[in-house]
Amino acid sequence: MKEYTGKIYNIEKLTHDTTKVVIESALDSAHSGQFISVLCENRTLRRPFSISDFEKIENNKSLLTILVKIKGKGTEFLSNLKINDEISILAPLGNGFSIKEEASLLVGAGIGIAPMLFLKKELNKQNINNYLIAGFRDDKEIIKGYDEVTIGGSVVDRLEDLIKEKNIKIVYACGPEIVLKLIGKLCKKLNIKSQLAMEKVMACGIGVCRGCVIKIKKNETISTASICKDGPVFSGNEIIWEENE
Amino acid sequence: MNKLKTVIKNNKRELILKSPLIGASGTYGYTDEFEDFIDLNCLGAISTKGITLEARSGNEGDRIFETECGLINRIGLENVGIKKFISDKLPILKQKNIDFLLNIAGSSIEDYERLADIAQQNSIKAIEVNVSCPNVKSGCIEFGLNPDSLFNLTSKIRKNYKGFLIVKLSPNTSDITSLANAVESAGADCISAINTLRGLGVDIKRIGNKFIKKTVQGGLSGKCVKPVALYMVNAIKKSVNIPVIAMGGISSLGDLLEFLAVGADAFQIGTANFINPKICTTLAMELKKYIEENNFQDFEDLKTKIKGA
Ligand SMILES: Cc1cc2nc3c(=O)[nH]c(=O)nc-3n(C[C@H](O)[C@H](O)[C@H](O)COP(=O)(O)OP(=O)(O)OC[C@H]3O[C@@H](n4cnc5c(N)ncnc54)[C@H](O)[C@@H]3O)c2cc1C
Ligand SMILES: Cc1cc2nc3c(=O)[nH]c(=O)nc-3n(C[C@H](O)[C@H](O)[C@H](O)COP(=O)(O)O)c2cc1C
Ligand code: FES
Repeated sequence: MKEYTGKIYNIEKLTHDTTKVVIESALDSAHSGQFISVLCENRTLRRPFSISDFEKIENNKSLLTILVKIKGKGTEFLSNLKINDEISILAPLGNGFSIKEEASLLVGAGIGIAPMLFLKKELNKQNINNYLIAGFRDDKEIIKGYDEVTIGGSVVDRLEDLIKEKNIKIVYACGPEIVLKLIGKLCKKLNIKSQLAMEKVMACGIGVCRGCVIKIKKNETISTASICKDGPVFSGNEIIWEENE
Repeated sequence: MNKLKTVIKNNKRELILKSPLIGASGTYGYTDEFEDFIDLNCLGAISTKGITLEARSGNEGDRIFETECGLINRIGLENVGIKKFISDKLPILKQKNIDFLLNIAGSSIEDYERLADIAQQNSIKAIEVNVSCPNVKSGCIEFGLNPDSLFNLTSKIRKNYKGFLIVKLSPNTSDITSLANAVESAGADCISAINTLRGLGVDIKRIGNKFIKKTVQGGLSGKCVKPVALYMVNAIKKSVNIPVIAMGGISSLGDLLEFLAVGADAFQIGTANFINPKICTTLAMELKKYIEENNFQDFEDLKTKIKGA
């Protein structure tokens, strides 16, 4: 992980509130599930975004893509950047998905599709059988790149059938915590593996402040783990979910 | 010659650092966490995350709330505990030759005494005592808010610890000078200030016909606290003779000069590390350039001259 100056290589509106931002930098490598944190004008804290694509174009030069959904001032700032504008990024942060050579189901709920698009690309490269299902609240929110989409209802409702139909052995997912919790529980019930990309408001993004921790259980011992450094991807069996969520 | 060499001293002891810039407790990890970003050997020191006798897992629920120009945190002193610090972290600090202040915290006087003792046994050069912790045995009132309890606590730590003793003051008081006097007369070598200010973050939204409220109560830090920190450092310097390590919202060369002008001897950088992980070395370079361009001999010379302003 390092600090890089990123130059906006391309910026393109995908939906009414989501923008694809392609950043040119000297970042050397990145893996799906990892993220970057971006310094935004007039904000105290950096903002984290999943890496949605990564490609080396030359020695010492690469393009990385993030999908930014407007939530507040930070995401608004990023959505309004222009080609050639410069931003400071910390990258690559966290541990990504740990790819298994097994029939894989990828689930992206809402903007959670961002890291899934990158994961799909990596799985395809390794010829690993995969199927990406995305869920969006309505037509206006659709981001392309999926194999199947649920609009309106919950993407979780389709999973049990899909897992059986396609003889799925592992589920990778990203999205709101309630969705991840349901997916984690479903996979436990069906006795298959899950890897879930978690989110929490972050301060440092590099594991020092302990602001973004969750509780996990490994070998019967409960401990805290930081989403930014130990995660953001955790095994669904490890996560101890907070109550009332 | 190192122009940034920093001497923090009183009439009994001194602490010599390579630079006056120190990574503040809770924002710099335990050891080499910032190694990817900067050369840690150029740093004055790091102040470790607050260490308690036993490991702590910290607070439940949201821990971070961003404000317009700052940050509220309620980490709840999550840390590995002194045993693990000594066995796992101290060897890294030694091997990599990283200068550090051991920041300690407790919930009883006995906790602090034990920690001071362990620091002494392990020949730790400097400790920074976080006194903004509730004293569980006397109704959870913070040690650092009452001059008598602070005097008592500092004296007990002093008894067990012969190294450089820094007491970190809380700004959540109406009488900072009495607290500073108590610490000095109990034998502390240095004061660091300020810890975070009490604050409340409120997020209120209307969804459908219902209000949804989320609050985060914790310690406020970052740019917005700088005027409070300047006031406190100024007031402390006017009432004691021991040196002061200043912190609270520092993020620029101008900030360093302002704190020097009210008597600071060195600086700690906290929240600004989250924005720019290289800030401690960036500021060190800017300070060095300022010293050279304005023909001061070195940092100590600048310090002496700016204090006369
Ligand atoms: C590891 C990680 C990966 C992420 N990946 C993406 C991504 O690929 N694309 C994307 O659009 N967003 C992503 N997010 C969420 C994104 O970081 C937040 O939406 C953004 O920080 C909001 O900033 P803001 O200034 O626009 O809004 P703010 O004004 O800060 O907040 C607006 C609203 O969003 C909520 N919010 C703030 N921060 C977060 C957060 N970290 N997670 C969830 N909700 C938050 C706040 O509670 C508030 O209600 C990711 C978050 C994490 C932790
Ligand atoms: C996330 C976070 C954790 C902190 N943890 C500690 C701690 O463990 N012990 C301590 O003495 N101070 C702690 N502090 C306070 C800082 O060391 C510092 O006193 C304060 O943040 C003011 O400086 P700043 O405005 O530069 O951040 C913490 C601050 C933050 C933001
Ligand atoms: S944001 Fe600081 S530990 Fe994760």
